[in-house]
Amino acid sequence: MDFSFSSDQQLLKNSARAFLDEHCKPAAVRLLWDDPRGESESMWKEMAQLGWHGLALPEAYGGSGLGMVETAILLEELGRAAYPGPYWPTVLSATAIEAAGNDTQKKRWLSAIATGDARATLAFLDSDLDWDPAAVSARAEKSAKGWTLSGTKRFVPWAHVASVLLIPARAPEGPSLFLVDPSSAGLKLSPVQGMDLATRWVHLEMDKVPVAGDAVLGAPGQAAPLLSALLRRGAIGSAAEMLGAARRCLDMAVGYAKVREQFGQPIGSFQAIRHKCSDMLLEVENSHAAVYYAAWALDAKAEDHELAASVAKAYVADASRKVCGEAIQVHGGIGFTWEYDLHIYFKRAKALEAMYGDVDYHREQIVRRAAR
Amino acid sequence: MDLNYSPEDREFRAATRRWLEANVPKEDLKTLDERKAWHRKLYEAGYVGMLWPKEYGGWGATPMQQAIVQDEMARVSAPPAINGLGIGFIGPTIIVHGTEAQKKRYLKKMLTAEEIWCQLYSEPNAGSDLASLKTRAEDAGDHFVVNGQKIWTSSGPIADWGILLCRTDTKVAKHRGISCVLLNMRQPGVEVRPLKQITGSSLFSEVFMTNARADKSDLIGGINDGWAIAQTTLGYERGGNALGRVTRYAIAFNQLVKATKELKRGGKPLLEDPAVRARMGRIYADLEVQRYAALRVLSALQKGDSPGAASSITKLSYTEFEKRYYELALEILGPFGQLMVAREEFEEVDTSSGEPGTFATAFLWSRAGTIYSGSSEIQKNIIGERVLGLPKEVRADRLKA
Repeated sequence: MDFSFSSDQQLLKNSARAFLDEHCKPAAVRLLWDDPRGESESMWKEMAQLGWHGLALPEAYGGSGLGMVETAILLEELGRAAYPGPYWPTVLSATAIEAAGNDTQKKRWLSAIATGDARATLAFLDSDLDWDPAAVSARAEKSAKGWTLSGTKRFVPWAHVASVLLIPARAPEGPSLFLVDPSSAGLKLSPVQGMDLATRWVHLEMDKVPVAGDAVLGAPGQAAPLLSALLRRGAIGSAAEMLGAARRCLDMAVGYAKVREQFGQPIGSFQAIRHKCSDMLLEVENSHAAVYYAAWALDAKAEDHELAASVAKAYVADASRKVCGEAIQVHGGIGFTWEYDLHIYFKRAKALEAMYGDVDYHREQIVRRAAR
Repeated sequence: MDLNYSPEDREFRAATRRWLEANVPKEDLKTLDERKAWHRKLYEAGYVGMLWPKEYGGWGATPMQQAIVQDEMARVSAPPAINGLGIGFIGPTIIVHGTEAQKKRYLKKMLTAEEIWCQLYSEPNAGSDLASLKTRAEDAGDHFVVNGQKIWTSSGPIADWGILLCRTDTKVAKHRGISCVLLNMRQPGVEVRPLKQITGSSLFSEVFMTNARADKSDLIGGINDGWAIAQTTLGYERGGNALGRVTRYAIAFNQLVKATKELKRGGKPLLEDPAVRARMGRIYADLEVQRYAALRVLSALQKGDSPGAASSITKLSYTEFEKRYYELALEILGPFGQLMVAREEFEEVDTSSGEPGTFATAFLWSRAGTIYSGSSEIQKNIIGERVLGLPKEVRADRLKA
């Protein structure tokens, strides 16, 4: 039993930290707030050159064949930097194509993703707030040339920059997953802006969008288990990002408490502040255990890996909200200002809390597995 | 990262499980003699004193093996070994700081529970501020004469020996004038009065020392070295055995599930009520995270990393969790959760004290964990100062010193 990172994993973490400290400073994140795309093409390419996009892809497609633990290590650092861009949606979509795609689909997309030439995203939510993949309401109807998709997809991350959209829809056979060209006729994309200006969501309206017969990922009607697995993987990844954001906020709060003086002494010497910081550290360390346990369990196909994914998402969502919020409290007024950087991470954690299954969804998954 | 148990550990777990299945007493242990006999059996099987060096009667086992034994014992609700304070903390202190003569005299009988030990640290006016303790030990040639009062002494009524912190110099800063000495509890100058706890049982006590005698040969370390020694003792105590505790919590969760299936509201089991489900999902996530964190600590111990001040995080985490956990169970179960005697529809729940009881007993016991062995507030001070590096607070006693 070894819960610590291997030297290779530690190296990956260190190099990711060094790269992001240089290329993804808070000022760089702010610059992209007003950018229509919202991401940096040059950073994306450099990340691809570092091998990040293909980290968990097979070597045959230019990947490194690593697992969810390494992916989580990267995502934690990306969360710590509040990296703006479609990294996780793209990498998660690649997992779907690798798991369920045919040779043609894999050849078309996986190498392009590994080299940074393609971006992808997954549309989990329909018009309602229901994360259950079996509840998909968008429809897929058979046509002469294949399929037509109709319906609504909401809060699709980074769809406006994607080269391919992974869209679940209900076919006569049942829930199915389609690879859709974002420029297809009948597909309307509209940006939706939440509180985190560095997270981009897109609203999709589909009115008989034509999709080729060979654009189904896996067998028609069989997508529900795949989508559940992707949602769980997405949950672990987003938990890793939230952990990174929380650690950043903790570091900032502790740093501030050491230098900010009131009543003639650093505020960190007051128990009111010190105890708050200790509680924050407790939440961050527990979140670390939750994220990496879930990531390891997924890689190892441990019998509790499904439970662990929901545990990680539900726990870290609560923990990161608390830690990032308390960091503002420790800072006082300055922490509430636009110019101070705390809200960048506070909002990132908040945005991710609502993605890949919210806390209510994952708690229900936990009870289903634990209370039988 | 690899969270699989090694083949050796899996084999060890299987062997432990077989041994427990064959040997765990079928009836509750009622008398001290019965508990001592069970303890002795556990010791001879290699399940007590596991981390102690072989030369002192221990088994030289790994932290992982010890955790597995505690985990397996929790799984079958086996009665715990006794003399936990002695074997967990006082013995290791003697091993590190004691003389050869002290080791020969005390260690083996401690392991076998032939002699039961208690810890004489806290006083009515020295709780979190332990260094302000007032019990005096005056030099009388070959021995000390001890006068004072201790409190919250676990196992006091059954103890044969105690490890005592006492003041041997009143003229220096408070933590520089403390010594650590072993005290025979079976002497006329020592009076033990049991204290009844909110659970109704009396597992701890007050101890009054009136001209009690402590031999100088029983001094641990040098004169006035007691504070540093006490720090190492407390260090062993924190962090504890988180894995076995988490297994007890998990077993209690199964009892909670059973209860929420049997209790009905509007004709439907409580477990089908979305409000109940949401709360149970939340607390189970919390419980699992305690388990992951326990494995993380165990992996560090296994690699020989001393968790040091970080063990304060572990202790803070699971003791605070335990309060949230049983509060929630009682919230869900209403008056059914307040029964102090197990009924057929509510099986027994192991409390953190190792005493069997009900959810109500466990709920009451959960208030103890965040007080003993350094309260949550003290743990947060340690974490703040030693892990996060926050500045020390300005304290009245430090200004004076």
